[in-house]
Amino acid sequence: MELYSPEGLRIDGRRWNELRKFECRINTHPNSSDGSSFIEQGNTKVICMVQGPMEPVLRSQSNPNQANIEISITIANFSTTERKKRLKNEKRLVELKATLERTFEQSVMCKLYPRTVIQVNIHVLAQDGGLLAGITNAITLGLIDAGIAMYDYVSSISAGLYDTTPLLDLNTLEENDMSTLTIGVIGKSEKLALLLLEDKMPLDRLESVLAIGIAGGHRIRDLMDEEVRRHGNLRLSKVNV
Amino acid sequence: MIAKKQKLSSGLTVTSKVFVRSRNGGATKIVREHYLRNDIPCYSKLCHKCHTILKPDSKGELPRFILSESPTRLEKEGSIHYVVVDTNIILHCIDLLENVDCFYDVIIPQTVLEEVKNRSFPIYQRIRSLVKSDEKRFVVFHNEFSESTFIARAKNESSNDYNDRSIRQVAKWYAEHLQESNEDIKVLFITNDKDNLQKAKTEGIVDAYNLTDYIEELPNADVLRDLIPQTSNNESFSSSDANETSYPEYYSNSRVLGGLKNGTLYQGILNISSYNFLEGTVQVGAFKKPLLILGTKNLNRGFNGDAVIVELLPKDKWREPSTTIIEEEVIGADDNADDDGDEEIEFINDKERRLLAQEAIKETTAATSSTDGAHSRLQPTAKVVGVSRRSWRYYVGQIAPTSVSKDHDTGNSAKSCFVILMDKVLPKIRIRTRKAKELLGQRIVVAVDSWPSTSKYPQGHFVRCLGEIESAEAETEALLLEHDVEYRPFSKNVLDCLPKEGDSWVVPQDFETTTKRKDLRDKLVCSIDPPGCVDIDDALHAGILPNGNYEVGVHIADVTHFVKPNTALDSEGASRGTSVYLVDKRIDMLPMLLGTNLCSLKPYVERFAFSVIWELDEDANIVNVQYMKSVIKSREAFSYEKAQNRIDDPKQQDELTQSMRVLLKLSKKLKQKRLDAGALNLASPEVKVHMDSETSDPGEVEIKKLLETNSLVEEFMLFANISVARKIYDSYPQTAMLRRHAPPPATNFEVLNNMLAVRKPSMPTISLESSKSLADSLDRCNDPKDPYFNTLLRIMSTRCMMAAEYFPSGSYGYPEFRHYGLAVDIYTHFTSPIRRYCDVVAHRQLAGAIGYEMLDLSHRDKSKMELIVKNINKRHRNAQFAGRASIEYYVGQVMRNNESEQEGYVIKCFNNGIVVLVPKFGVEGLIKLELLGDVNSAEYDEDKFELKFKDFNNKERVIGVFDKVKVDVKSIKDEVTGKRKAQLILK
Ligand SMILES: [Zn+2]
Repeated sequence: MELYSPEGLRIDGRRWNELRKFECRINTHPNSSDGSSFIEQGNTKVICMVQGPMEPVLRSQSNPNQANIEISITIANFSTTERKKRLKNEKRLVELKATLERTFEQSVMCKLYPRTVIQVNIHVLAQDGGLLAGITNAITLGLIDAGIAMYDYVSSISAGLYDTTPLLDLNTLEENDMSTLTIGVIGKSEKLALLLLEDKMPLDRLESVLAIGIAGGHRIRDLMDEEVRRHGNLRLSKVNV
Repeated sequence: MIAKKQKLSSGLTVTSKVFVRSRNGGATKIVREHYLRNDIPCYSKLCHKCHTILKPDSKGELPRFILSESPTRLEKEGSIHYVVVDTNIILHCIDLLENVDCFYDVIIPQTVLEEVKNRSFPIYQRIRSLVKSDEKRFVVFHNEFSESTFIARAKNESSNDYNDRSIRQVAKWYAEHLQESNEDIKVLFITNDKDNLQKAKTEGIVDAYNLTDYIEELPNADVLRDLIPQTSNNESFSSSDANETSYPEYYSNSRVLGGLKNGTLYQGILNISSYNFLEGTVQVGAFKKPLLILGTKNLNRGFNGDAVIVELLPKDKWREPSTTIIEEEVIGADDNADDDGDEEIEFINDKERRLLAQEAIKETTAATSSTDGAHSRLQPTAKVVGVSRRSWRYYVGQIAPTSVSKDHDTGNSAKSCFVILMDKVLPKIRIRTRKAKELLGQRIVVAVDSWPSTSKYPQGHFVRCLGEIESAEAETEALLLEHDVEYRPFSKNVLDCLPKEGDSWVVPQDFETTTKRKDLRDKLVCSIDPPGCVDIDDALHAGILPNGNYEVGVHIADVTHFVKPNTALDSEGASRGTSVYLVDKRIDMLPMLLGTNLCSLKPYVERFAFSVIWELDEDANIVNVQYMKSVIKSREAFSYEKAQNRIDDPKQQDELTQSMRVLLKLSKKLKQKRLDAGALNLASPEVKVHMDSETSDPGEVEIKKLLETNSLVEEFMLFANISVARKIYDSYPQTAMLRRHAPPPATNFEVLNNMLAVRKPSMPTISLESSKSLADSLDRCNDPKDPYFNTLLRIMSTRCMMAAEYFPSGSYGYPEFRHYGLAVDIYTHFTSPIRRYCDVVAHRQLAGAIGYEMLDLSHRDKSKMELIVKNINKRHRNAQFAGRASIEYYVGQVMRNNESEQEGYVIKCFNNGIVVLVPKFGVEGLIKLELLGDVNSAEYDEDKFELKFKDFNNKERVIGVFDKVKVDVKSIKDEVTGKRKAQLILK
């Protein structure tokens, strides 16, 4: 298979700057959590459930100045084509967790909730590339659903470089074969809350990859915003009745 | 399996591709997204509609429309046409698709392209380059991504049927789509599959043809008819097939995969012995010794160079490698191509059976007298049970005269005949042609199409004729083809990358302000090359510094100033990899304009250069080294001889001569250091052919002579290469372009040392511990009575060495970078960028390392570098073989006129012949027992490496390895292969 054919088509039929199917729902688990969401980015599927802000179980966990964000990630054994057992403290997962915690500590107005903890539980049901991006988007929606104050949306997307062509929103096959950049864009700005580069990318090409990433992030933001507004209107209509 | 479709807001439709992959015995269901779109154009200039749907790529460029407004007209129908081809047409008839006389405006459905890629990557690459070049107007239509041509797979439909249906859908859509813009256009669907043709017709695709019928529709059908490959022609050989006993069928794919996994089958490259075409070896990681494959049945249709799957034979069938010489031309040269009748019913013919019996007898005697020595030579044997990749390419050969029926001429019908290939380790090929008689005595190119298990010989088809056998043009072209050397003139695309000024290009006067180049025009630079050299890629200078140290500079033509990465010029150079030097012809890696002018460091003119400048102390130790892009002006271009004379002439006291003396002095010190470190001085019988310039007939043969100035230049080139290698490795630890030379494996020298111990007991054995000990032990192997013996030993040692290879630094650990022959820890090629692509890459990496310019991505990416080195290693090897073959041909032509008696040395001994090397001509030849004397009374003593026989005068003679013999050398033309070779007759 050609990852990017001379005719300008990718392995799944998209062009260089096209997103995969992106679908999201919020308030999916209203009974078991304070905020919840479900996103599908291509075949990557993630559920997010948020508890809090709440008092931490242990005193030692509380910070007098701001809220602590704790993220736990569970990856289902059936999420990839080959089933395999994953350990909770697999190195990649630990890194992923740290990256996400750092990102959201800066994007949530943590100062408003001193001495509390915000518990985020992630369940990855299916993986097909863009895992970090998918989780980030799910957390953003989950936090919004939980009514936790944030500075703005953090919308995340991956992008890669094939030869000299930047490609947006990579699936697994593409991710395996090129160096991948994942960014989290803040709202409609060009500021980034997250930037993770796996493998190397030449500096002189980075700009073009960042550019399509940011454009892609803005489109994701709009799609998430649409869902938040749809759900908001739904709730509002119930209140009015 | 009907996948649901969903329309997205972006206009795409998403569906999913579901398939099951079986691996490791389990089955995995895989679901992938599949997007359908409506913006894929038809690429036809006739179309009025598609221009509105185009989308730009990341560089803002829109797709170009390729298919012509006025394509070829069909002879009978009279309408213009495009064609859609299926997978098998491409796989079997790629030559025809590339032919300039047919197949213009071709549509390749994506489905077909993917099938081709899975079945044969080289053919896929050829198709891709056809599409890229535009000349034949090929387009790839991504039918599986287009909403109008995508079809869902039906329940229970096999993947073959589904693909066939998808392809037919393309033909159908194109026909309808183009009808709307132009009523005269026909879109022909071409397939040789009867079932597919039938289905096409019932589905309403009127214009479906098989290849033969399609060719008949073309105005130039007469020229094309003979070029139709055999497998595409159903009735081709069926008549004769019935008579042939079959080869064992290959194992099924799953059985092969399973076997490889559980270790009962092995995979490796088949290597047919050049002395015995019935014996092959496969080197497999699991065994120290290569696996032997003996006899046609075990070789089971494997070609030399094929990647094959083999299965071990039981231990009682393990053998020693054969000591018998067998050439195919001896066995069955007179087979008739059409009539494999009575005597062929038995699979192995009598001669083969005799040879096998002979082997078997030897095997049993070895077993009874079972000494350890005999057993240690036993090698495991195996049989071929599958071929994973064919090495098939174009082959050059000639039609076997005996296979052309002379009795009656039935006019224009195609006849079967055999083509005997120049490469004698390959079997002959059966082709069908109408022109067999015209082609007798001509060198022809053929392609192999298939080798069914029911056919004794592979089947192929005629491609083109090169000219008369033995004419210089035909033989030169033949050897270029045989060694896969690209020799066609550079295309317009490539030439367009050269500076517009052409020959009148000069160094711009403002270079000091516009570039970072250093002005070195005041240095006393000169070049020293062979006489008449036009492509001067290196020049030197030297001087004494105020502190008493020396300044030495090596200046290399700045080729990468003109050859920029990612241009057509660059990719052409990368694919050629090296210039190829034949006796009377040079095939350039880069266009002439660069080689002989803009990048040639000619005297008296300014040129761009890449300079390495050292500060050296009295003992030639490096005090400092600098690298810079520069502008130089050479003062003089010397030949080796002129430079030598000038240095030797005490009357010459000018500055330039003085600096050359400095260079010479330092070069001798460098050389001594290298030799002290253990650099090898191995010999090869290098021969130069003098051409008579009037008649361009080769005049005489001479062994190349070396002067001090030869080694002066060589030393500094090595020195520069080493310095540059260190620098680029330092900056690019993963991808630096380097060259290594592995130490020879001990087993390679085992036989040679055995020979020495038995035949020359007074000689020390050759030690392999280090290159230094090897060099020393070679020095000690001197026969005072015969000064040539040492050279002979060096020639034989050279053959035991590994070949040096290019590699990106990330592929090996630092200790393995070592260049054994030169005895240095790290090495690269930097000094000949005009004729070697490695040097081009090294130049770019050095420019990146010194911050002169950004290094292109392709030289910073390990996987891309691996592709580059793989190709240049192959090209380098082929170029060497081609050069040798060219010398061989001309030596043959020289000897044709002078038959003479010469001294020769026996270098190999078999039980039915000896191999003799004649130093004077650098030729070696086999003398078979029949030409030595009485066949029946001959005895071969394997342990002593000698052959005892009665010669034709009934005199008892014993001849063994290393013996000096007198031979009559004459050149004879082999009537079967049409190859001229040296024939040696023992005196
Ligand atoms: Zn069109």
